[in-house]
Amino acid sequence: MGFFSNLDIEAYDREYSDRDLLKRINLYLKPHIGRLVGISFLLVIIGASSASIPLLISTSLDRLTLNQDDSFIRLMIGLVLLAAIINWGGNWIRRRMTVRVVSDVVLTLRTDAFSSAASHDLSFYDKFSSGKVVSRITSDTREFGKLILLIADLGAQMVQAVLLGVVLARLEFRLFLYVLGFLPFVFFLAMGFRRIARKVTREGMQAMAKVNATIKETVSGIAVAKNFRQEPEIFADFDEANTESYGINLRRGFLLSLVFPVLNAVGGIGTAILVYAGGWSAAKGIVTIGSWYLFVVGLDRFFFPILNLASFWAQVQAGLASAERVYALIDAESAVVQTNNLVTDRITGRIEIADLNFRYTDNEWVFKDFNLTVEPGESVALVGHTGSGKSSIAKLIARFYEFQSGKFKIDNYDIRDLNLTSYRKQLGMISQTPFLFSGTVAENIQYACMDSSLEEMVSLANEIGEGEWLKTLPEGFNTEVGERGGHLSMGQRQLVALLRVLIQNPAIFILDEATASIDPFTERQIQQALDLILKDSTSILIAHRLSTVKSADRIIVLEEGKIIEEGTHDLLLKQAGYYSVLYNTYFRHQSLAYIEESGKLVD
Amino acid sequence: MDTNQKLTSEFSLPEEYQVSDSIIAKRSSPMRWLVAHFKEYWHLGLYMVVGAIGNASLAAVVPMIIGMALNALLEEPPRTEILLRYALIIVGTQTVRGALQLGRNFSAEMLGQLMERDIRHELYTSLLGKSMTYHSLLPVGDVMARATNDVREINFMFSPGFNLVVGSANFIFMPILFSYQYHPSLIAAPLIFLLLYILALWQYLYELGPITDSVRKTFGTLNSRLAEAIDGIETVKGMAEEASEVELFASNARRFRDQEVHQGDVEARFLPLLVWGLVQAGGLFHAITLYQRGLLEIGDIAAYFGLLGLLGFPTFISLFAYSQVSLGIASSRRILELINRETELDQNQSGYQGVMKGKVHFDGVSYAYPDIDTSINDIDFSIQPGQTVAIVGQTGSGKTTLAKLVNRTYDALSGSIQIDDIDVKDWNLEVLRKQISIIEQDIFLFSDTIADNIAFGKPDANQEEIEQAAKSAQAHNFIQSFKDGYETMLGERGVNLSGGQRQRLALARAFLTDPRILILDDSTSSIDSATEDEIQKAIFEAAKGRTTIIITHRLSQIRWADYILVIRKGEIIARGRHEDLIQSSEAYSRLFKE
Repeated sequence: MGFFSNLDIEAYDREYSDRDLLKRINLYLKPHIGRLVGISFLLVIIGASSASIPLLISTSLDRLTLNQDDSFIRLMIGLVLLAAIINWGGNWIRRRMTVRVVSDVVLTLRTDAFSSAASHDLSFYDKFSSGKVVSRITSDTREFGKLILLIADLGAQMVQAVLLGVVLARLEFRLFLYVLGFLPFVFFLAMGFRRIARKVTREGMQAMAKVNATIKETVSGIAVAKNFRQEPEIFADFDEANTESYGINLRRGFLLSLVFPVLNAVGGIGTAILVYAGGWSAAKGIVTIGSWYLFVVGLDRFFFPILNLASFWAQVQAGLASAERVYALIDAESAVVQTNNLVTDRITGRIEIADLNFRYTDNEWVFKDFNLTVEPGESVALVGHTGSGKSSIAKLIARFYEFQSGKFKIDNYDIRDLNLTSYRKQLGMISQTPFLFSGTVAENIQYACMDSSLEEMVSLANEIGEGEWLKTLPEGFNTEVGERGGHLSMGQRQLVALLRVLIQNPAIFILDEATASIDPFTERQIQQALDLILKDSTSILIAHRLSTVKSADRIIVLEEGKIIEEGTHDLLLKQAGYYSVLYNTYFRHQSLAYIEESGKLVD
Repeated sequence: MDTNQKLTSEFSLPEEYQVSDSIIAKRSSPMRWLVAHFKEYWHLGLYMVVGAIGNASLAAVVPMIIGMALNALLEEPPRTEILLRYALIIVGTQTVRGALQLGRNFSAEMLGQLMERDIRHELYTSLLGKSMTYHSLLPVGDVMARATNDVREINFMFSPGFNLVVGSANFIFMPILFSYQYHPSLIAAPLIFLLLYILALWQYLYELGPITDSVRKTFGTLNSRLAEAIDGIETVKGMAEEASEVELFASNARRFRDQEVHQGDVEARFLPLLVWGLVQAGGLFHAITLYQRGLLEIGDIAAYFGLLGLLGFPTFISLFAYSQVSLGIASSRRILELINRETELDQNQSGYQGVMKGKVHFDGVSYAYPDIDTSINDIDFSIQPGQTVAIVGQTGSGKTTLAKLVNRTYDALSGSIQIDDIDVKDWNLEVLRKQISIIEQDIFLFSDTIADNIAFGKPDANQEEIEQAAKSAQAHNFIQSFKDGYETMLGERGVNLSGGQRQRLALARAFLTDPRILILDDSTSSIDSATEDEIQKAIFEAAKGRTTIIITHRLSQIRWADYILVIRKGEIIARGRHEDLIQSSEAYSRLFKE
């Protein structure tokens, strides 16, 4: 089925030169050099054994016409048998070796790709979507593996064709030239077909995508359609797309159906000419009968590799492009650079930022000469509009990004001097959409503290709403949370994430509060969990809820990367400055006063 | 069963689009169903078989002619004058063969495309006819996979699947058929091939099956954990767990590698290839022996060996062909499963058709989902026409289920639900649903203009009505802020709206259809107070003059509802007016403390 493979592949823009790429590929192949030599050796053996069968037959035919030399004929048959066995056995060993080379190379490449991906800082993930990274690690590495397989398979066919070609050329040069002259014709015919096939395949896929889109819309919107009884309308849309796709794909089918019949008919003409011309040569004694036979049956054996060759280049290009995408992932440079590797005892959690300059890319500065000091155990709420720099502070404290200049100290250490692993072990972080891994609730809570005990978890869980949240889970701690925590509600996920931090008892706690709506009962419990953490850790809160803002020791009001006000909630409200504007924009509707007033919004 | 299905279908198509009864009758087994579909185009199958027989027999002509040419050349003197005739016969037969092969290929292709079109059509209409219970229980992804990939697989089952099965089977039989003319005993080799080939293939598939499964499984584990780790990279890094993730990944990847190598080893030892080789050698020996006994000519040996060569095609291709067919059968089973799953609601065409006042009464209502834990238990309450009821509770407590029983998205398992003192089951379903509007948590908008989305339930609404509805829903202002106003396209190729905006469009829909009962599953949250003002206004406005059931997290909606139900684990644990609850319920009053 080689001919129809990779029809949907287009040209890629390449950045690595072929030479660099081959060098890199070479590095991965080197450890398997022994196997590769073995495979190449087997390729020759297999090619030779396949090519020898028609050769043996033709020799036998010649012999049979001369005399009835029994032992020689028996030898020939024995050799045919041997060739068949070598062919099968050689292929067996070759394919065993190939699958090991391919799987091992892919395994190494995959592991390298993932460990690079895990070590890249977050500026890398701002540039590449996670879906793309995943597909580079799984699909692209697999495509690259296929390239090795492809080369090995085509290699076997080519060796066979070349060996046979040498024999044929030595037998009768003119007939061989005829065979050779025939090949480009077949090759270009096949290339032409591929071009057409690619075009109609693309059209077919577009038509199919349209049908699928209408089905998707129906399936997801079925409730709405049913509520309003609009089924006939959406059916008409579907029917049109379905009929259109049928027409386009049928046309595609017709063109693809043409390929092999045409090639077979052309092959028939080639054989006919050989039967005729070769027959005359044989009659005149220029070639033996056996050689004539060899030419006639040999034609097919040239045919097949040429067909595969027509699709070869596109597949090689696709394989190299995949390799390149994987290497680009591995080679991406880390922006965060540590200058030392200090492993500290437990830190107190003092944060001191002075004259800080920071920007994400070459765009605008996020912070210019920024200063902030947070004392150990203090909780600080950051408020401000989107883009004011709230989450940038959090991300810099976590050392997810590199800053350009200034002083950034944790306790008395320069943040750049710290061993990142030991430092981050003392951080507790919750991102805006709390992330859970598939597994049980308990496993998620213990994610960063494998050695914590069940009793510890139970007692912590019971400190929150008398453990009521745990009772609502079908199997308590052993409840499977599903992929990305999908089986739990948003509120439950937040609670699990909070417990994960609680059990870790971090020196510094960083919370990017979720904006999702949560039922008021769960919200109460989240607040309780939060209070427990705030008690013991230095806390940086990117607050979206009024109650969180109020619970902070200090509120810092940010505007375009500058601190414009700070103080407690009551104090700042009294000042009637920028904070009170923010309060009216973001927090007013969460207050009890608003709830009491809201009944009068209408009437 | 089929008549039953017709009765309960929520939607039926005009006659000309309907699936024929003969197919519906065969939905009990995948094979019978496929055959019923195939019967509509049986002539294409006939062309395919005829084309395949022609193709294979004409392919066999080539070695036979070569043998004859060989014999002619070996005569003394060589009969060269006949070579031209042989050459022309080859050209002629191979051209005809090309035409027949095209006929075979194209018939198969057309058959496949027609099957795909028809089955997709059948599946689609069946989906449209299913109840909402059915749809809400099936994940969209699963339905999509069946409606797209599985339908595709059925196409592939015919082309190339059956096409190659029929084609390669002919290539197995032609050598048996044509060997006979040279010497009857020569059919031994191709017959032995057939026998050993079947055994070898059976053994191969038997061994490969479980390995392919575990390859797929280990890859699934590898891939899903990888996707999670990358999606959660911030968490991984924040907790400094990179090293353990890399270790986990490496061990998953290694497990997959081992399975893959195992599979490769089985595939490498492909016995049919050996069988073919041995049969060729054995056949050659047999033919030469016959020649030596004067029973064959030399050309016959060549022809016979050529015929054995034809067996190469089935040796390599049939495995692929059979797996296509078995994939297709598995797919048809999955599709049928979807079609056959019953839809429980009955339309009740003859049911009550009055104008609704909006009184809702639950009497000892219980409901449980087939596979999920959430359920509700023995629920009683009453809502007077025009009242607003707020339902409060944690996620998973059964709030949404409760609301969905009102318009018979689900039917209660026990107890009864009455609207205007008439059991919902005694209402005509269409009339019932037309007067009840549900706004779901995930608001679905079509890839269409804003105006068309608002007018979805009332397609003949004019621009003025649409704008009036949008104004009442506090949506007019943000709609006007788009360049194309009401003609703005939504969805994939258009504008993406925020949760609050989607909700207000859904409310606008409801204003336009003016239902007697409005059920609002409200879980949006506003980041800023101005948006919150607008949403609150829109909801209060929508609740005016109709019975409203609102499932909400918003304290202000709870505060101002006429009646509040607090649900926990499927039961009502507190109920009453705000003023009463704040006195009587400790948990409730805690919500309103700062």
